[in-house]
Amino acid sequence: MTATSAPEAALGVLPRADGSAKYSHAGYTVTASVNGPIEAQRRDEHAYEAHVDVIVRPAAGVGGTRERHLESILQSSLSQIILVKNFPRSLIQIVLQVEDSPENDYVNTKLVQASLNFAIMPALMQTAVLALLSAGVPMRATATATAVTIAQQDGAKRITVDPTPRDIETARSVHVLAFTSHDELLLAESEGDFTVKEWDDVYETAKAICCRSAPAKEGVAMVLDDEDASGPDMRQFLRSAAGAKVAADLHWK
Amino acid sequence: MPREAEPSLNEKQFVTQALQENLRLDGREFDQYRPVELTFGDQHGVADVTLGKTRVLAKASAEVTVPYADRPLDGVFTIATELSPMASPAFEVNRPTETEVLLSRLLEKTVRRSGALDTESLCLVAGQKCWSVRVDVHVLSHDGNLIDASCLAVVAALRHFRKPDTSMEGGVLTVYTPAEREPVPLSWLHSPFCVTWSFFGEEADIALLDATWMEEQVRVGSCTVSLNKHGEICQIAKLGGTPVDAVVLLQCTSVALAKVKEFSELLDKRLAEDLKRRDKGGFMAELRAENDR
Amino acid sequence: MATDRPLVLPGETIDPSLIPSHPKHPLRLGPGLRHIPPSDIVPTVAGQLITNPVKNSMWVEYNSQRYIPSVGDIVLAQILRSTTDFYLCTLSQHTAPATLPHLAFESATKKTRPNLAPGQLVYARVTLANKHMDPEVECVSAATGKAEGLGPITGPGCAFDVSLGFARRLLMARSAEDGGVGVLEMLGGEEGGGLAESARTVVVVGRALQETDRAGLGMEGQRRLVKKLVREMR
Repeated sequence: MTATSAPEAALGVLPRADGSAKYSHAGYTVTASVNGPIEAQRRDEHAYEAHVDVIVRPAAGVGGTRERHLESILQSSLSQIILVKNFPRSLIQIVLQVEDSPENDYVNTKLVQASLNFAIMPALMQTAVLALLSAGVPMRATATATAVTIAQQDGAKRITVDPTPRDIETARSVHVLAFTSHDELLLAESEGDFTVKEWDDVYETAKAICCRSAPAKEGVAMVLDDEDASGPDMRQFLRSAAGAKVAADLHWK
Repeated sequence: MPREAEPSLNEKQFVTQALQENLRLDGREFDQYRPVELTFGDQHGVADVTLGKTRVLAKASAEVTVPYADRPLDGVFTIATELSPMASPAFEVNRPTETEVLLSRLLEKTVRRSGALDTESLCLVAGQKCWSVRVDVHVLSHDGNLIDASCLAVVAALRHFRKPDTSMEGGVLTVYTPAEREPVPLSWLHSPFCVTWSFFGEEADIALLDATWMEEQVRVGSCTVSLNKHGEICQIAKLGGTPVDAVVLLQCTSVALAKVKEFSELLDKRLAEDLKRRDKGGFMAELRAENDR
Repeated sequence: MATDRPLVLPGETIDPSLIPSHPKHPLRLGPGLRHIPPSDIVPTVAGQLITNPVKNSMWVEYNSQRYIPSVGDIVLAQILRSTTDFYLCTLSQHTAPATLPHLAFESATKKTRPNLAPGQLVYARVTLANKHMDPEVECVSAATGKAEGLGPITGPGCAFDVSLGFARRLLMARSAEDGGVGVLEMLGGEEGGGLAESARTVVVVGRALQETDRAGLGMEGQRRLVKKLVREMR
């Protein structure tokens, strides 16, 4: 329930889907299924590439505009890393089911019209990438994502990684960034009030989490100026999650 | 929307023929369920039911709303079942299939109309304010017998759920946040469960419990009996299909009662375990510590 | 083991020392790799990188569920419907249908072509697999004009879904000790205790295969599973 908990993932959790993953981090739990390449509907068919369909389903209540917005952001980001040209006229369908999201104990939430929080984005992105890896869908690169907030506290600026709902409420701005495994910025969404300088700080913080070059740094103590800003090493996490699945699949080798 | 998958002719013949020889594809007895697993989430009101390769997640939630004009003393209780493409690519969002309609109607009849939840207790201010309790059913993996799995998940989620506490003082209604007062359970009257029989053979003389997806594609009819552990039947639905001998149906109902007792025991056991798990300092202690600050 | 079969993720750089260099043969890339001109070789899936210095080839070994047609594969196709010149059939659920010409059967002519009902299974070979076109299958060898075991499957029977990695494992000629699957031999041999040809046997075989695939059983696990299944079936 605490925001500092390490991310957890399991691949291939749904026996009847081509690929699936369950991911939990910072209070969010998301299950994803990937089916594809399958037959696309006429209206989605593209002559030269696969159509990537992303469906985000909130845990409670009906999805609305916010979910459609998240879907469109994810759809365009994931189309960039999937090798869509390999499967023309087909469909790669990704369904993201939110199971748990952290509750704010200080507010009673409205639930019939679900409005997903912006900060769920990294969890959705990460689950989708893990499910794609589990389905063996050819990809250009993998991606890692994180959420960062900036809050004004006692006159000083405070950057928080993997914010809790409480952090988001008090924050001045919320940012979601995703990077590909080639250290390219894949996705940057921001909400709130911030300066260019602040965004640069956010960028550096997020990059440190998403793009830590994994085993090379061993022995070198990770020194980060701010205690709170040091988050989990997402890339290493992704690698070990995928590695566990591969090892289990090919144990007989 | 890709077309719904269908088993091949050869497989259909094989399943039917094997059943004549008292044999199911997974080697189960005719009246045997696949292993049932029930787990609860970190939050209150999240239940995850696994039945072989079928997996259903139910989440209960509540909010304060205005009661319906014709029922000013009752709260609002809805069960939402929408099958997503996660269960099968043949399901499309916002386009209900027959499976989905049947599932939601049966859950409605079993849980809502049987008065399992005391809707009068959801009323806060007559005609003005009441609780709206909602259960969302998410099918994560579909390998047959969605009805029984969903019903168990819905009942489990509702019994596990806690709604925010409220108080009435001098005509002022206060809804407490979880940080102020510990949420309270719903007023629950009885726990109905669904047991679905599938019939096979020309005379519908073979009856199976907990059919898999493949068996459901081959069956000639089905019958869902909903009852609680006291043997009170909430509804029986045999929607078309080959006529079934009344005596066979009677036998089915008595076996169903035994199965419902098993479900009931399982749910009670899991709820008790979950309560124990939560009680160990952890969550509540953390909340209290936060309050002290 | 970990050193000679390193784990790769999509887009990772492959250590140049791992890429085989053979003076005579050209480098051959197998599944899961793509070549970005001029000289980059990049994995596209998560799996183990396997290299064969003798044949100067490399590929990524991984497991998945969705079958992607490839020329020469022998597949079970399910007839959907018939058109004037060919049958439409599915190779895996929810994918675009493949075509099976009416005349692609042994000694088929306009008059003698087999009449297949929708839902019927056929054993066929993939003859055309191109990402821009629907796949095509045949039930006759174009070279000899003989069926060579291909054709419609008649009578009741059951197809059991397994993962693609497991299917490849079943096709391997290697012995059980090398990573092959032993359940079939075990069922046929002493452990099976002489199972007769019946629906019961089919169910036992199917369950043995699916369970071995699902749980990733080793030799000892398979032996235990076979014992348990045979006991249950008695």
